[in-house]
Amino acid sequence: MIEIILLISAVLFIFALKLFGRPSTAHRANLFAMLAMALAVFSAFNFDFSKYDSAFYITIVISGLLGVLISKRVQMTQMPELVGLFNGFGGGASGAIAYVELSNSSLPFNDYFVAIFSMVIGMFTFSGSLVAVMKLRGKLNNFSSKFANIFSVFLPVIIFIPAVLEMDNFVIEFIILVALITGIIRVAVIGGADMPVVIAFLNSLSGIAAMSAGFIVNSIILIVAGALVGASGIILTLLMCAAMNRTLLDVLKGGFGNTTINNEYEKDPISTSPEDVAIQLSYAESVVIVPGYGMAVAQAQAAVKELTNTLKDKNIEVKFAIHPVAGRMPGHMNVLLAEVDIDYEDMFTLEDINSDFSSTDVVLVLGANDVVNPLARTDEDSPIYGMPILDVDLARQVIVIKRSMSPGYAGIANPLFINDNAKMLFTDAKEGLENIIKSFELV
Amino acid sequence: MEATFLLTLLITFLASFIGYELISKIPQTLHTPLMSGSNAISGITLIAAILIYPEVRESQILQIIVLIAISFATLNIVGGFSVTGRILEMFKKND
Repeated sequence: MIEIILLISAVLFIFALKLFGRPSTAHRANLFAMLAMALAVFSAFNFDFSKYDSAFYITIVISGLLGVLISKRVQMTQMPELVGLFNGFGGGASGAIAYVELSNSSLPFNDYFVAIFSMVIGMFTFSGSLVAVMKLRGKLNNFSSKFANIFSVFLPVIIFIPAVLEMDNFVIEFIILVALITGIIRVAVIGGADMPVVIAFLNSLSGIAAMSAGFIVNSIILIVAGALVGASGIILTLLMCAAMNRTLLDVLKGGFGNTTINNEYEKDPISTSPEDVAIQLSYAESVVIVPGYGMAVAQAQAAVKELTNTLKDKNIEVKFAIHPVAGRMPGHMNVLLAEVDIDYEDMFTLEDINSDFSSTDVVLVLGANDVVNPLARTDEDSPIYGMPILDVDLARQVIVIKRSMSPGYAGIANPLFINDNAKMLFTDAKEGLENIIKSFELV
Repeated sequence: MEATFLLTLLITFLASFIGYELISKIPQTLHTPLMSGSNAISGITLIAAILIYPEVRESQILQIIVLIAISFATLNIVGGFSVTGRILEMFKKND
C-alpha cells in the first residue's frame, strides 16, 4: 500500500515539473507538487501516527502556520530574499538530519560518507543562503575575495586540525563548523548582481542535500524528488552563467567588478526632461521597455503598468525586453511585471527581441546598466566582453532613466549613455515614470 | 521501499535526467515560480526527519535537533508552496 502511494507521489512530482514549463499550466503544477508532497509525507508515517509525541506534532503545526504567514506577508519585490531563506531552511534540515544519523546509529561504511556529504552540502546551503538573504537586503557589503581564496587554499589543511589536536570526538562538529564558515565566506564575496546564479545554485544544492539524505534513510521518494530539484537548479544555474558569459567557478570565485577600470566618459551625456520624453513617446509607433534591478529597488512596477496603458491607448506598440540576469533571481523582472498585470505575451527574451531593436522607435531603459552595455560586443578587454546583451543602442532613440552616471555592477563605463541617439533622465525609476505620465496629460 | 544500492543509483540518475530534460524547455517568464516551487520540493527532507524521529528517543539533544530539522523542512515546504501559489496566481489572471 505504502509503495503504491509513493509511486503515485513520484509520478505526480514528475508531472508537476512538466506542467511548470508553460504559463497556462503552471498553477496546476503547484497543486500537483503539493499533492505529491502530501502523499510522500503521509507515507513516511507508515500508518502509525502513535509513534510520535505532541512535541513533534506541535512543531509541524506551528512551523506550517509560520510558513503560510511569512509567505502571505512578503512583498513581491522581496521574493529573492524569501526564496533564499526557505532554501536555507531546506538545506539546514538535511544537514541536521545527516548529523543526527552520524551521531546516532552505526551507519554502514557507504552511508557514512553519504551522510558526511549530505551534512556538508546542507550546512553550506544553510549558511550560504542566510548570507545571500542579508546581501539581498543590503545588510552586507562585499567581502574581500582575497581572504576567501586564502581560506579555500588552506581548507585541506584546516580539516586536519581535529586530528592534530586529538579531538577525535568532535570531528563531525568540526566539519559542520568548517562547512558553515565556507558557506558564509563563499557567498559573502559574491556581488549583488551575481545573486541570480547564487540563488539558483543554492537551490540546486538543497535538492542534492535532500537526495543524499534519502540515501541515508533509504527513501526512494526522497532521492527522486531531491534529484529533480538538484537537476532543475543546475539548469537554471548554467542558464544564468551563460547569460553573463561566465563560468560557475568564475562567479563563485567572487570579486567581480571590484577592479575599477576606466569609467571616465569622453563627453557629457545629453540630459532630458519628463516632458521631452513624453513628447518623444507620443510620436513613437513602437516602444520597448528594458527593466533592470533599478525598477525593483524603486518599486516602479505600477508606474510601468500605467505608462504602458497610456501608450497602448494611443495605439503605440509596447514590448518588454528582459535580460536573463536582470534583477536578483532568475525571472525576477517577469514576476514584478506580472504582479501589475502586464501580459507575459508582451515580455520578450533576449533572443526573441534583439533583432527588433533596429526597427524600434524608442527604447526606455529602466534602471538597467551592464545588460545594455555595447562594450560587451566591441571591447575585447572589457570584463563583460562576450556577454549577451540587449542591443538597445541600435534603436532610433534610447532614453535611460537612471539616478546618476555611476557604473553598474561590472564597474565600467557604459558608452550607451553618451551615444548620439541616447538621452538621460536623471531620476529614480518610479519618480521618472510618474512625471512622464503626468506630462502626457499635458501633451 | 528498499532497493539495492545500484538500483538506487540508477533511479537517481534517471530522476536527474528527467528533471534536466523537463526543465530545459522552460521559458524565462517562469524561472522564478519554477525555482520557488522546486525549492518547496527540496523540503521533502521532512520525510527523513519523520523516519528518524522515533529512533532518537534516548537522546534529548538529538531529539531537539530533529525537531529543528522538522521545523525548517515544514517551513520550507508550506512557505515555499504558498509563495509559489501566490506568484502563479499573478500569471494566471492575465491568461
